Amino acid sequence: MNVIKRNAGEIATVVVLLAAFAVPFLTEDPFVYSVANQIFIAVTAAFSVYLMLRMDLLTFAVPVFMAVGGYTVAIAGLKGGVTDSFALTALSFVVPALIALPLGILVLRLKGVYFVLVTFVLTEITQLVLFETPNLTGGSNGLVGMPPTTLFGLELADNRAVLLLAIGVTVAAAIITALVTSYHRQNFAAIEENETLAQSLGLVVWRYKVLGFVVAAGLAGMAGFSLVNMLLTAHPTSFSSSSSVNYIAYTIVGGRVSMLGPVVGSVLLVWMSNLFSNQGQYSQGLFGLLIIIVVLVARGGIVGTLANLVAFLKQWLRQDDNITAAAPPSALSEHT
Amino acid sequence: MNEFISAGLIGVSLGAQYALLALGFTLIFGILGVVNFAHGGFYVAGGYIAYGFVSHLGVPYVIAVLLATLATGAIGYLFELFLVERIVEDHLATLMLTLGLYLTMSTGVLVAFGPESPQFQFPISGSLQIGKFHLPIENIVVLSICLLAIATVYLLMYKTDFGRALRALADDRQVAAAQGLRPRLLFPLAFGVACGLAGLTGALVTPILSLAPHVGDPVLATSFLIVILGGLGSIGGATIAAFLVGLVEAYSSVYLGGSKGALALFVLVLIVLVVRPSGLFGREVRGA
Repeated sequence: MNVIKRNAGEIATVVVLLAAFAVPFLTEDPFVYSVANQIFIAVTAAFSVYLMLRMDLLTFAVPVFMAVGGYTVAIAGLKGGVTDSFALTALSFVVPALIALPLGILVLRLKGVYFVLVTFVLTEITQLVLFETPNLTGGSNGLVGMPPTTLFGLELADNRAVLLLAIGVTVAAAIITALVTSYHRQNFAAIEENETLAQSLGLVVWRYKVLGFVVAAGLAGMAGFSLVNMLLTAHPTSFSSSSSVNYIAYTIVGGRVSMLGPVVGSVLLVWMSNLFSNQGQYSQGLFGLLIIIVVLVARGGIVGTLANLVAFLKQWLRQDDNITAAAPPSALSEHT
Repeated sequence: MNEFISAGLIGVSLGAQYALLALGFTLIFGILGVVNFAHGGFYVAGGYIAYGFVSHLGVPYVIAVLLATLATGAIGYLFELFLVERIVEDHLATLMLTLGLYLTMSTGVLVAFGPESPQFQFPISGSLQIGKFHLPIENIVVLSICLLAIATVYLLMYKTDFGRALRALADDRQVAAAQGLRPRLLFPLAFGVACGLAGLTGALVTPILSLAPHVGDPVLATSFLIVILGGLGSIGGATIAAFLVGLVEAYSSVYLGGSKGALALFVLVLIVLVVRPSGLFGREVRGA
């Protein structure tokens, strides 16, 4: 029972995402399909930010590994003829994770602000590398003309199939995130609370940080696969350094205290930025305001604030019960 | 040879602009421990405020630049006083807060002025001929103002009580506060001065380069590069690194073309960060 209670957030997240498989069968509205696709890509990418935040590390590097994952899939499809969606999903996780391993060992020696700056610099480097390697990545033209992905030999070409694949990738990402964060919950929490203390108590901090970084890179890579699969092209602008801010916003506004946070944040913010779709450029201002509000008054984001509210109401009700049951009326009137 | 020298001049004038930006950025980090993601936003705001005064109200350019500097400084002062001050001890939270401000500011500019870049021309043009070299006058004017501003910052930081107080707070906040210096009073002022510097640079430079709501992004990235190279929080390091970056950018665009120079710079910075996090010329100013 305790295991379920402790992992309630993780279990709820996976269940909610599994339930999302119903969406493509409930509607055929192309607008809903488009927004839903964006939401699932956003959720997958936001898990990457969430995982790093569990160790109090803010990362801007999500688009970096999204690009690695996305371009890996595109190149595998174009040059290798790989179309099986299981193989492509695995590739989009493994290749970014392998690149993140040596990189993580290097950059995770930096703490706090310095780590944040390095991840920001990485996004700029990625853009330049994409433009400077036209033979591999197509440069400013990007890569187009990938064969459609397949599932057990069936072509996944129509809108519904693309959305189903995006949901499947997101569920896989959620399961990976849930397993890693719940298995290492205490180690991550120790690093988040007080890294120096954790280290002096014998926790090999860098090992967990590198593990988190590698898995987060893989998750971002899977988001990159979904994005490339939706757009049918791998292009540098899809992985711009300014997009990293969006994934951070989804996670923080939704709430970094629970795995449900990135899901809630992504659904809400992607949906809102599609609401004023013809003024999509204004959505970043809205994200900015929401980030300011969360940082100043609601640290737990939407999910954290709701959880606090529920806890507060519970306690309030219990107190009410206690007073009427235990205290005689005379004692009450003395206080008032 | 001619090409070499004129590229060098462009590099020096780029370096002077970068130095002004990076000084503000490094001051805020050194003194408050805040990474100001909104720094590019203040640069853009400075440019648009100056443009607004010149084109809508017919104010002379010189006065518009002064007004833009004061206005961005005031925004920075208020932002620190009312928002950053409340969570100034938490590095990650202040970082996200300034990020939020940056997004809000650039969207504000977008709403007010639209996405197209406005016609904003430097009031003087033409070129000065010295020997065989043609030097654009506007570059010389901007370069001199930047150098003047940099000198003023140095005087302010090293020759006045205000500067000494700020450096004391940067060195050890607890001890400085115990000696009677008041962070509550000085932090907003420092933030205001630094943002004013970014605004001044924006007002001066955008008429020559370009003015658009998104020009803050590369400015932010360059400021990062410079302060990392020079050592976060170090004033001297930021100045030297700014001129270094300016020269590398100018020469690589002439001799290498494309973005290879920028790529080399970014990779260099990455290596510096990993091998020597305190920067090329810095010491560990703040263990963030």
